[in-house]
Amino acid sequence: MSSIVLFSILLALMLTGMPISISLGLTVLTFLFTMTQVPLESVALKLFSGIEKFEIMAIPFFILAGNFLTHGGVARRMINFATSLVGHWYGGLALSGVMACALFAAVSGSSPATVVAIGSILIPGMVKAGFPMRFGAGVITTSGALGILIPPSIVMVMYAIATNTSVGSLFMAGVIPGIVLASMLGGITWYRARKYNYPRQPKASWSERFRAFRESAWGLMLIIVVMGGIYTGIFTPTEAAAMSAVYSFFVAVFIYKDMGLKDVPKVLLNSANMSAMLLYIITNAVMFSFILANENIPQELTNWMIEMGFGQIAFLLAVNVLLLMAGNFMEPSSIMLIFAPIVFPVAMKLGIDPIHLGVIMVVNMEVGMCHPPVGLNLYVASGLTKMGITELTVAVWPWLLTMLIFLALTTYVPTMTLWLPRVLGMM
Amino acid sequence: MKFLDHLEEWFISFLMGGAVLIIFAAVMHRYTAGLPIPVVQDWLLTLNLGWAQELCIIMFVWMAKFGAAYGVRTGIHVGVDVVINQMNAKTRSKFIIFGLLAGATFTGIVTTLGANFIWENGMHYFVFNLFGLDTGVLPEGPTTPDLEWPTWAVYSAVPLGSCLMCFRFLQVLVNFIKSGDLPHHDHSHVEGVDENIIAEILIAETNADAPNSVVATGDNKKEVKQ
Repeated sequence: MSSIVLFSILLALMLTGMPISISLGLTVLTFLFTMTQVPLESVALKLFSGIEKFEIMAIPFFILAGNFLTHGGVARRMINFATSLVGHWYGGLALSGVMACALFAAVSGSSPATVVAIGSILIPGMVKAGFPMRFGAGVITTSGALGILIPPSIVMVMYAIATNTSVGSLFMAGVIPGIVLASMLGGITWYRARKYNYPRQPKASWSERFRAFRESAWGLMLIIVVMGGIYTGIFTPTEAAAMSAVYSFFVAVFIYKDMGLKDVPKVLLNSANMSAMLLYIITNAVMFSFILANENIPQELTNWMIEMGFGQIAFLLAVNVLLLMAGNFMEPSSIMLIFAPIVFPVAMKLGIDPIHLGVIMVVNMEVGMCHPPVGLNLYVASGLTKMGITELTVAVWPWLLTMLIFLALTTYVPTMTLWLPRVLGMM
Repeated sequence: MKFLDHLEEWFISFLMGGAVLIIFAAVMHRYTAGLPIPVVQDWLLTLNLGWAQELCIIMFVWMAKFGAAYGVRTGIHVGVDVVINQMNAKTRSKFIIFGLLAGATFTGIVTTLGANFIWENGMHYFVFNLFGLDTGVLPEGPTTPDLEWPTWAVYSAVPLGSCLMCFRFLQVLVNFIKSGDLPHHDHSHVEGVDENIIAEILIAETNADAPNSVVATGDNKKEVKQ
């Protein structure tokens, strides 16, 4: 009963268009004042302790690192490197776009940032080379979604916070699905490019490849700093995030010289603005999930699901449908923070691995970012190409379909996700 | 007012940069102190940076609270606007006013809750002690584990930040009623990339190369804003 009231209030408040963080907070307060005996002090304490975890601090650090990296240079060099490797195959620049997105995703934790960083350089290049614009936009919009699957990933940190799982193992679990999805997107690009006979680049010689590699090495090193650092235990994930922020500042300002020292305060302010928004949602989501747990709502749901005879397969299907629907209205961080505490206990009861569930949720978020009405990647691509959302939606469908197939694959083949962290002994 | 705006921006940028440097220094210290460099190592070993993590958390909590207030001014807080965007302008503006009032109410309540909390947890004692009043049975309040700062001072970020945020909500509300303008953060825009120039090149290219292919028109702009 209380669960229905709680969610109705939340839904009603959200639909008025007020910020999600505020509607979460107001739901908690309304519920507290009218329906429960929970002492106000314990909630007041949550206001303070909600974000007092060192793991959460990885989010602002990754945002800062990402903002330093988007300043052109790193992405451009990665594109050159990718083009020298795969540009001569069918699909040419489009294929190197997929690869460059995967590489950039490995240093950045956000999807829209990946779309902008790669798309702003590559889409004009592709049009110049003779690709139709909708092909370029489709490839980059969907490949950019790799940003949150390939570690580091801000959305994964959100899941880890909401469910108390290890950020390090989640990151490792994202590696192989990330590579598989990149190959699948590359495959469909290759197939369609061959079918329509799109232009290819001249084959690069090995010395050209080496030169492109050496130029992009400073950016690629970041992958080693973050993943290597976390895996070997030199850094905690949060420290790795801080190191990558300092490193990308150093690379952007002193090595590639894409930005001057005078631009740094602006980057800091923008990153602080974005992180504060996310941290504010986290604080209120923590209060909300505290109330949920206090009212035993996840337990009730678990019992109900088991009574109804839901098995792993049916449950995961339900989770996917639920998340894809939520992806129509909300952005990933909020979905993660609201839904993870609810589905997590059920999944545990059904014997689903927490890391596996995390990756499934992340892939769902990826799909959600690429379809309307609220697909952030679509809006970014639309801003870049000045194509309408409807038109872009048509443009992305072959890749979106591929992503849905990949989602089914991730959901029902847990080995793909869990193999690497198991082999590395991280779980 | 301008002064407050700048102070706010300066403050959160400083917290962001400061926290990065502190964690960077702590990690560097942890590994360089292990290197056998004669004088340097001795000096490094005398430093204890165990408090770095705590300070970083405190800085980020402060940044989060004041940054959230700044976020109201820049309109970065996202909501579900799919439904209200379908409505006509008049109904829509009613919902926007409701949303802003709700924001002000929530932050207002949080300010009182938070202020009450820190007052009971040491600020009362501190203030009375400061003015030489009888503190009686008032608790001195807890301190943070590593830095041993009084918790109430650290936690005062909540009432202060929320108070500023409440003020910002009201400010945006007044502005909206007066002029109908709402601060809007374009989430699809990422700093450092000049999209317009790119789009212009694109359109020029498409026009030149393939006159029949898709060319952006003014209508698309409307769609983007939805």
